[in-house]
Amino acid sequence: MFKHVGIVGAGTMGSGIAQVVALSKIDVALYDVNDTLLRQGIERIRADFRKAVERGKLTQEQLTETMERIRSRTSLSELTSCDLIIEAVIEDLRVKKDLFKHLEQNSKATTVLATNTSSLSVSSIASGVSKQERVIGMHFFNPAQTMKLIEVIRGEQTSEAVVSSAIEFVKHIGKIPVRVKDTPGFVVNRVARPFYGEALRLLGENVASVEQIDRITKVIGGFAMGPFELMDLIGIDVNFSVTQSMYEQYFGEPRYRPHPIQKRMVESGMLGKKTKRGFYVYDDKI
Amino acid sequence: MAQKTKENSSTAELAKAKVYIIGETPMVEEYTELCASRGYDVFVAWNDPPNPVRKFNSSGVKPSTTIPSGVSIGLELSNTNTEQKKKNLEKLDKSLPPTAPILSSSVTISATEQSSWIVQKHRLVGIGALPTFVEKRLVEVAPTVFSPTETVEVVRRFYVSLGKEIELVQDRVGMVLPRILCQIINESIFAVTDDVATPKDIDAAMKLGANHPFGPIEWAEKIGIKQVCAVLVALHNDLNEDRYRVSPLLKQMSIAGEWWKSQ
Repeated sequence: MFKHVGIVGAGTMGSGIAQVVALSKIDVALYDVNDTLLRQGIERIRADFRKAVERGKLTQEQLTETMERIRSRTSLSELTSCDLIIEAVIEDLRVKKDLFKHLEQNSKATTVLATNTSSLSVSSIASGVSKQERVIGMHFFNPAQTMKLIEVIRGEQTSEAVVSSAIEFVKHIGKIPVRVKDTPGFVVNRVARPFYGEALRLLGENVASVEQIDRITKVIGGFAMGPFELMDLIGIDVNFSVTQSMYEQYFGEPRYRPHPIQKRMVESGMLGKKTKRGFYVYDDKI
Repeated sequence: MAQKTKENSSTAELAKAKVYIIGETPMVEEYTELCASRGYDVFVAWNDPPNPVRKFNSSGVKPSTTIPSGVSIGLELSNTNTEQKKKNLEKLDKSLPPTAPILSSSVTISATEQSSWIVQKHRLVGIGALPTFVEKRLVEVAPTVFSPTETVEVVRRFYVSLGKEIELVQDRVGMVLPRILCQIINESIFAVTDDVATPKDIDAAMKLGANHPFGPIEWAEKIGIKQVCAVLVALHNDLNEDRYRVSPLLKQMSIAGEWWKSQ
């Protein structure tokens, strides 16, 4: 079992993962190239724990104890004692590949190197590492603190021992693992595609309105949110780029083809809730 | 119960009315149970009569292959057998009083196409009927170009009397939810074929990672693989795009049975 876990990248995902791991009594080394981001990440964790204390879900002692288990690191060479390193940096293949080369140099030969990528190929991220069998995908969902699922992705050369140890680790930190082959979109992003894609097609073909499609999927389908509400929440730009990336990775498979409606909305800056304009209008006052 | 709402006063005449239901199991049973529980006199027939015919909780259900006189509303609930559906609709059109609307599932064949099979085209309105959908308080309804507003209004009042609201959508194969949902299921079976994960893990992943109410494969089993496959085949034929290509494994499953239950 991993006793010491390194996390690279102290953004929303990285700090969320650090929080989850530390809560299961495992020592965490949280690294970020950017000192300010690192401090902000630690503060985010502390603020989240404080809220938990206020709600009576955590004692003050547990807070102190858990925070002590998380150490900030500003140099990769400080991660050499880790048994597992989870990368949660920007979704950019070049950046990730480069980072994994550095992680290889700054870790023991037995250390498992995991990527939290949601859309890139694990095998491709691993390709710069000389012992690719120890590279694996561990796809946490946002927010990492509350989402139970982790997709454990086996790259082309990942060893079965590494997969098993990753699955054991996921269970240990209270999450639910699913074994996934390294294919574009893995399971969740792939199987969720038609929820958005067909809704956009239905809208484009004037079969029903945005409001009607959302209402039908929620009331008859039992979905918590309609596809358009959800795209507005995720960000129409983010949703569009995931779709486009899958479409390209599957060499133009028509099931993943993006819709012109998405593209036009992104072009006009209607990105959903974050810009107050998307499929719906979000005005504070009307 | 919900029947005591104000709106129901206008449907009092419907509440004692006779309804004739014909089509596929289990939608026939689902609609029969609902209509009977709301006080309708229900006459029911199946494409393939179950043996034995199941016992209904409500009284006032009469299996009957002939259509009695004075029926106010006819329901045709078939999605997988076009020839049989055609026969059922012709029979309904011939035997129902001219004022009685026909509500016909238009999930796999558009209501407009169906209306071309009958003489009194104005009386046919499409509904989104798939197994389990009737449990929900909303129904997709697709009027055709021939449907006068009065007919749509009768349909609306009928659903109100059943405690439901309707959402009027364009008359297109797959309507809204069946199209979205069956494409999600189709994608999940492609993922099984590609060995991305086990059926059980795909279900777990979609519930936990995407907050879906059911996993796509368990959902397909709830609705029935045959029904899901019929929707997808219909979408593929109608839209004629590779995007709607039906997973070969799903087609096999629809014919041979549901092997992943044992996995």
